Amino acid sequence: MGGYGDVQLLREDGSRLDGRKLDEMRPVKIEAGILPAADGSAMVTHGLNVAVAAVYGPMEAHPRKIQRQDRAVIDVRYNMAPFSTSDRIRPGFNRRSREISKVTAEALESVVLVERYPRSKIRVEIEILAAEAGTRCAGITAAAVALADAGIPMRDLIVGVASGKIEDTVVLDLDKAEDNYGQADLPVGILPNTGEIAFLQMDGDLSPDEYNLAMEYNFKAAKEIHEVMVDALQRRYQGGDV
Amino acid sequence: MSQGQTGAEQRLVTPGMAIGPSAGKRAGSGIITEQETMIATQLGWLQEKNNTMSVHPIHSAYMPRSGDLIVANVAEVRNNLWFMDINGAFQGLLPMSLAPWKVEFGAARQHMDVGNVVLARVQEVDECHNVVLTMKGVGLRRLNQGAVENIPVQHVDRVRGDGNILLQRLRDASDCRIMVGENGRVWIDGDSNGIAWARKALKMVANKGHTTEFEAILAEMEQEKKGDA
Amino acid sequence: MPELVPSLLRQELARLAEEDARLDGRGRWEAREITLETDCLYNAEGSAKVTMGGTIVYAGVKFELRTPWPDRPTQGSLMCGAELRPVAGRKYEPGPPSPQSIELSRVVDRGIRESGCIDMESLCIVPGEKVWGVMIDIHVLSDQGNIFDACGLAAIAALRTAVVPAERFDVGEDHKLQVSSTPIMASYTRAGGRFVYDPSEEEELGGDERIHITLGDEGHLHSLQKGLKGVFTPAEFAEIFDEAQKHCVVLRKLVAKEEGN
Repeated sequence: MGGYGDVQLLREDGSRLDGRKLDEMRPVKIEAGILPAADGSAMVTHGLNVAVAAVYGPMEAHPRKIQRQDRAVIDVRYNMAPFSTSDRIRPGFNRRSREISKVTAEALESVVLVERYPRSKIRVEIEILAAEAGTRCAGITAAAVALADAGIPMRDLIVGVASGKIEDTVVLDLDKAEDNYGQADLPVGILPNTGEIAFLQMDGDLSPDEYNLAMEYNFKAAKEIHEVMVDALQRRYQGGDV
Repeated sequence: MSQGQTGAEQRLVTPGMAIGPSAGKRAGSGIITEQETMIATQLGWLQEKNNTMSVHPIHSAYMPRSGDLIVANVAEVRNNLWFMDINGAFQGLLPMSLAPWKVEFGAARQHMDVGNVVLARVQEVDECHNVVLTMKGVGLRRLNQGAVENIPVQHVDRVRGDGNILLQRLRDASDCRIMVGENGRVWIDGDSNGIAWARKALKMVANKGHTTEFEAILAEMEQEKKGDA
Repeated sequence: MPELVPSLLRQELARLAEEDARLDGRGRWEAREITLETDCLYNAEGSAKVTMGGTIVYAGVKFELRTPWPDRPTQGSLMCGAELRPVAGRKYEPGPPSPQSIELSRVVDRGIRESGCIDMESLCIVPGEKVWGVMIDIHVLSDQGNIFDACGLAAIAALRTAVVPAERFDVGEDHKLQVSSTPIMASYTRAGGRFVYDPSEEEELGGDERIHITLGDEGHLHSLQKGLKGVFTPAEFAEIFDEAQKHCVVLRKLVAKEEGN
């Protein structure tokens, strides 16, 4: 048996502790345009995770030294609210949130048509209100919907999804226990229409075959989440308030 | 009403969505072509006009173009120029030479100070988003009275209506002077009731202008206003 | 960057004040639509979401076990923090907590602490060894005016519905946090020369000083704060003090109704 300690993550019949199949993701709900103060916004509920994203801009990039003469910069802040985890988090930036902010910004810069807005900045604020494994992915999905809601031109959306390994078995979308006691996690940001990858991290231990299967799961889930994203964006306007 | 008038068949597209083959068609705003396929880049309604596909965005920031009539706020005063907040990503610059008065060097503040509201036109915009404004022209001036209501930039055309028909109706009903800036700021001047009515009507037009019940709601508002007067 | 105040906005607020009217058509002492929802954050032991017009605020309560201060061996502790992060609006900038967000935290904290609604002795587990630390974190997601009242309401509602997670810490059974009263804040901003209740974003932008009043169940004052540039007369204060008595009763009922659910 793999994993750490005696925690059993798969039942005798091969299903997961919360009853999901190996290639089944947690339910995903998305609402666009939830923050009146922002130019664009979204709330993503992915399992028990809740991620909110707000977009402001494009606006003049300040301070001047961050300005790029040929394109906009995307300024991402990923932040976990103090009450988002079971042990309170001290407010403020830490190394983990800084790293996630950096790679998320670079992923978003890969889809936003940044060359349209020289010397500008687009602010993307990702706030995690509840964290139960998979917040960076929920944050990327929320950011993409918020950018679209703000009317920022993009060549594609990005979907955040993750697969991993528990008890030597590849599974889609690790929950808290699976993340804590599992053997690997592979979060990615997938462009749903082009099939390209803009965000990639991994830790743990995966064989080449396991990696391929995990990626296959990720692409399958990205397709499902993309439908929810499109529905959220269309629902906001199809009804009437255009 | 030209804008947002949506038949049920109109398509609401999201970024990355494939629109169809690019052969024989031109890509307008909100559309890019990749590998002979047209791709939407913005959330909005797909439109086809004269063989050009474009997306009428559901939300957009103000992007100044030369010739735009706008309502601007003075943000900063220098000896020989003013910086103006134009509700865009960058401030606009009004040089002394394009002010409506003869201004001595160093006396800019005597004519307009921070917080003053003006009606101006965009003189030119360069590729780096530098925006030069002018106040030379008929009707361009400092606005000393009245009120400013903000509307979403993408609804500016809707508020005017074809040939300014809707705007004229709002002016008549409110008995106010109303100027619609391309940057989403609407200047309204008249008596208190008129301004309050115009504010309410502008919000209604922005939110409901594309719906079938719009005409009935506006007619009712116009009647109510008449009754009050 | 300080916000630009258009001269026409100040002029209009003054004109409206003379006519006893407001920009959005409200009466001088009328609030916008308020919603309160509790138990809405999965990992918080008590939580609340408040909306006032376009203002949206969340509050979450967490507990920790700590050693009591040597001079107060039988008392737990309470801490209240409000974060004004850049998510809340275009005008908020990234960086360390601004003086404004520290003021907000402290005003909300004082109202709750000084009302005595939480008996610090009740947070003691083993005198001199183990007490509960109660921490309320308030998160402003969208500022369209009057975040003080929204934060105050979210904080007390989250506290009043909080469950002490004793089982998780191996110190007994989970139980409701004892909160003996419901301190409520009411805020007034000078717009166009006179005070109004529940200021909108425009009224704050074109207005002057603000006064925050926190009242307990019996209508007693527990915290006062005057913020921003401006002066007021004792008569003006007497007027808003009277209004605050009524406004606080309305919001207190809202909390009671939500607790009943």
